[in-house]
Amino acid sequence: MGVLSVKQIRAWCLTLALIVLALLIVMPLLQIFIQSVYVDGTFQWMAPFRTLAESRFASVLFSSIWLGICVIAGTTVLALPLAWVMSNTRLARWRWLDVVLLIPFMTPPYIGSMGWILFMQKNGYLVQLLPELHVFMSSFFSFGGMVMIMSLHLFPFLYLLLRGALVRIGGSLEEAGAVMGGSFGYRFRRIILPLLLSSYGMGALLIFVKTIAEFGTPATFGRRIGYEVMTSEIHKYISSWPIDFGKATSLASVLLTACLLVWYMQSVINRKYTYRLVGGKGSRPSRLRVSSLATGLSIAFILLLLVASIGIPYFSIIAASTMKLRGIGLAWGNFTLDYYRELLSWGSESMEALLNSVFLSLGASTIAVLLGTWFALVVGQSRTVLQRTVDAFSLLPNTVPGIVMVVGLILWWNSPWMPIPLYNTYGMVILTYVILFVPYTVQYVKSAFTQVDTALFQAGQVFGGRPFYVFRRIVLPLILPGMLAGWMMTFTIASRELVGSLLILPPSVQTSATYIFAQFEQGQVSLGMAMAVISVGLTTLLLMVMEILNSQRKWK
Amino acid sequence: MMNRHVFRTGWKKGAMLALTLTFGMAVAGCGAATPSKDGAQATGTAGQAGAASSDQKLVVYSAGPDGLAKKLVAGYEAKSGVKVELFQGTTGKILARMEAEKTNPVADVVVLASLPSVQGLKKDGLTLPYPEAQNADKLNPDWSDKEGNYFSTSASALGIAYNTNLVKTPPTSWADLAKPEYKDQVNIPDPSLSGSALDFMTGYLSAKGDGGWTLFEQYKTNGVAMAGANQEALDPVITGAKSMVAAAVDYMTYKAKAKGEPIDIVYPKEGTVISPRPAAILKSTQHEQNAKAFIDYLLSDEAQKLVADASLLPGRTDVKADKRANLDEIPLLDTNWEWMGDNGADVTEKFTQIFK
Repeated sequence: MGVLSVKQIRAWCLTLALIVLALLIVMPLLQIFIQSVYVDGTFQWMAPFRTLAESRFASVLFSSIWLGICVIAGTTVLALPLAWVMSNTRLARWRWLDVVLLIPFMTPPYIGSMGWILFMQKNGYLVQLLPELHVFMSSFFSFGGMVMIMSLHLFPFLYLLLRGALVRIGGSLEEAGAVMGGSFGYRFRRIILPLLLSSYGMGALLIFVKTIAEFGTPATFGRRIGYEVMTSEIHKYISSWPIDFGKATSLASVLLTACLLVWYMQSVINRKYTYRLVGGKGSRPSRLRVSSLATGLSIAFILLLLVASIGIPYFSIIAASTMKLRGIGLAWGNFTLDYYRELLSWGSESMEALLNSVFLSLGASTIAVLLGTWFALVVGQSRTVLQRTVDAFSLLPNTVPGIVMVVGLILWWNSPWMPIPLYNTYGMVILTYVILFVPYTVQYVKSAFTQVDTALFQAGQVFGGRPFYVFRRIVLPLILPGMLAGWMMTFTIASRELVGSLLILPPSVQTSATYIFAQFEQGQVSLGMAMAVISVGLTTLLLMVMEILNSQRKWK
Repeated sequence: MMNRHVFRTGWKKGAMLALTLTFGMAVAGCGAATPSKDGAQATGTAGQAGAASSDQKLVVYSAGPDGLAKKLVAGYEAKSGVKVELFQGTTGKILARMEAEKTNPVADVVVLASLPSVQGLKKDGLTLPYPEAQNADKLNPDWSDKEGNYFSTSASALGIAYNTNLVKTPPTSWADLAKPEYKDQVNIPDPSLSGSALDFMTGYLSAKGDGGWTLFEQYKTNGVAMAGANQEALDPVITGAKSMVAAAVDYMTYKAKAKGEPIDIVYPKEGTVISPRPAAILKSTQHEQNAKAFIDYLLSDEAQKLVADASLLPGRTDVKADKRANLDEIPLLDTNWEWMGDNGADVTEKFTQIFK
C-alpha cells in the first residue's frame, strides 16, 4: 500500500512537472518556431531550411562547435587538477577558495574579456607596466586567446561539479586500490576516472552549450579577431534593421539540435557509467599522504590560476574604474574614486539598479531552486520516457541561446490573449531568470541524487518511514549541498544577466548589468567598470557570509 | 508589483473576458490586493477601461544618448504632468522589442538613431502621421517625412576621430586612411551594429556609385578593423590601442574631448554624411494626444536647446549649437536617402563579407 501510494505520487508529480515545463519553457519556444515558418503572414514550412541552405552557416556552425570542444578541453585542464587538489590534499581545508573561485564565473563575460583586452592590447596595461613583454600581445589576440578567456570564465562551474563527485567517491575506494599496489596513475585511470565520468559528462555538456550559446565574449573578443559564431549571427538578425526573427530562429534551431545531440550522447554515457556511491556506509576523505612536493606544486597551480582568472582581468577592471582620463593610462595623479562616489550615492539611478539586481536575483534563485529540485527528483534515475522528457525540457533553457529563449518568452507572455498580465512587470523579469537558470539546480541536484543508492530509501521504508519522512530525513540532507550549489549559481548568474534583461525589463527599470552596458554604450567606460566591481564584490560578500553560516551549522 | 502592466484592448472583446478575469485574478492574486494607478483599477472596470487614467501616461522607446533622453522626458513631464515610461536601448534593441511586441504593442513614441529603420516602419504602415506638429516647418526637410510620419529632431555627423597624442597632422580626406602610414591603426564601426556607420557607407556609395566600394576595399587592405558599435570602435582610440576611427559619430567624440581625453574629430574635405535621429508616433498608440504633445515638445525651442547642449546637431535649422560644428560648417556628400534606405541590407552584407 505504502509503495503504491509512492508510485501514485510520483506519477502525479511527473504529470504536473510536464505541464509546468510545457507552459513555462516549451510553449514560448514553440512560439518561436511558429514565427520562423510564417513569413509575411503565410505559412512556409520550408523557410527555416531555406535560411540554412542560404549561405555560409555551415562554417559558422562549425566554428561554434570547434570553440565548444576547445573550451571543454581548456576547462578540463583547469578544473580537474583543481578538483583533485581540493578534495585530496591538505588544501581542501581552504574552503574560502570555493567562494573566491566563483568570482571569474560571476564576472560578466564581456567585462572579463574587456579586462583581458585592456591588459593585452597595444598601449595596454601590460605594456605600460612591462614594456619588454609586448611580444605576448599579438599571439594573445587569436583563437587560442579566446579559448583561454572562455575557459577561465567557465572552469569554476566544472570544478564545483567534479569536486562534489570526488568528495562523494571518498577515500576508501582509492585506498583499496593503493593497498593492492596500484600506482597513482593506475588508481586514477581505473578507479577515479570511471566514477567521475557521469559528473564530468554533465559538466562537459553544460560547458559546451554554455560556450556555444555565449554571446559576451564573441561579441567583444571574437569580433576583434574576426571569429564568427552562431550567437553573433543570431544576434545580428535580432537586433539590427531589418529584424528577422525567422532567420534568427532557424539558426537557433540548428544550435538547439546540435545541443540536443550532445545531450543525448551525454545521457548514454551517464546511464552506462553511473554507480551508486552514497550507500549509507559513510565516506571520509582520503588519508593517502601527498608528498610536500606535490603540495607545493598544488599551491603554485592554484596561485597561477587565481592570477590568470581573477588577478589580470580585475587589475584591468579596477584600473579602468579609477582612471580620471583613460587616454593617459596608468599614472599617479590619474587616479580617482569619483566614479564610486557617483555610483554609491543613495537614491541615485545606479543605486536603484544595484538594488533591483539584488532583489530580482534573490527572488529568482529561490524560486529556481525549489522548482529545479522538484524537476530533478521527478526525473530521478531517468528510467522512463516521461522522465527523460522532463529531463530534456528542464534542460532546454540551457541549450537554447539566452536571447532566443527571451524572445520566445516575450512572444508568449505578451500575446493579446494571454490572461496573466505578467509582461512589463518585475514578475516577468524574475520568471525569465528562473527559466534561464533552472537547469543549474536540476543538474546539481541530479548529480547528487543519481549517486544515492536506492537501498537507503528502502531502508527508510523498511523501518516504517512514510514517503515524506523518508524525503525529509534521507533525501533532503543528501541533496541539500546540490540545492545550495544551485542556489549560489543561480543567484550569481542572475545578478549579472544581461541579454534577457536588455529586452525584458519594464521601461524605466535597470539592473546593474544593463546599467553597465548602457555606460559602455554612452562612453562612460570607467563608470561601467566601477559598477562591475561593486556588483561582483557584493555578490562575493553575500556568498562568503552564506559559506560561513553554512560551515558554522556543520560544527554544531 | 505584478500590476504595472498596460491594460490592453485585446482583452476587452468577446466572451474571453469572463474567463480571463477569473483566471487572471486567481493567478495574479497579489495584483488585485495592491491597488495601483493603472493595473488593478483597469481590471475592475474592464468594460470601459478608463480613458481618464490611461491618458496620464506615455511610453517612449528611445535610443541614446542617455542623458539627453532623460532630460527631454523630464522636460516634457514637467510641462504636461504626464508620466513617461522610458525604455532606453540601441536602435536594434528597440526594434527587436517592438517586433516581439508586435501582436500587442506597448510603445507610443519611438526615437531611433537611424533614418532607414524609421522609413521601414513607415513603409510597414506602423507610424501615425502628425503633419500639423508645431515647428515641423522649421525642421531640416531632408531628414523628416513630408507627410509627418517621422521627425528628425536631432542628428549627428560622421567624421574621422583621432587620438591627438598619436596623430599630429590629422587626415583631410577619407582616402588618407588607406595610406601606408596608418596601416593597422584604424577602426571602423560594424554597420550591422551601428546605424550611423551604415548611414555613412550607404551615403558614400549613393554619392560615389559602385566605385565607392574601392575605398572600403582599400581600407581592408590597409588593415582597417571592423570593431563593434560606435563606442566600442572609439574606445581603443581613446586608450591609444588604435589611432583613428573612420565614420565616428561626432557627438561621442565631442563628449570625450570635453572630458579631457586626447581625442578630436575632422570632417573630410570631400564631404561626409549626416545621420538623423528620427522620432515617430506609432499607429498602435493608446495615448495619441500625449504622443502628439511629446513630438511638439521635441520640436520646441526648449528641447532643441537641450539637443544642442548634448553636442548633437539640432533638427531645426533655426537653432544653432555652440559646442560643436554647425551644419553649415560640415562639408556634405550628395547623398540619396531613398537609395540608402532600400540598399541598407545589401550594403551591410557586402561590407561585412569584405571585412570578415
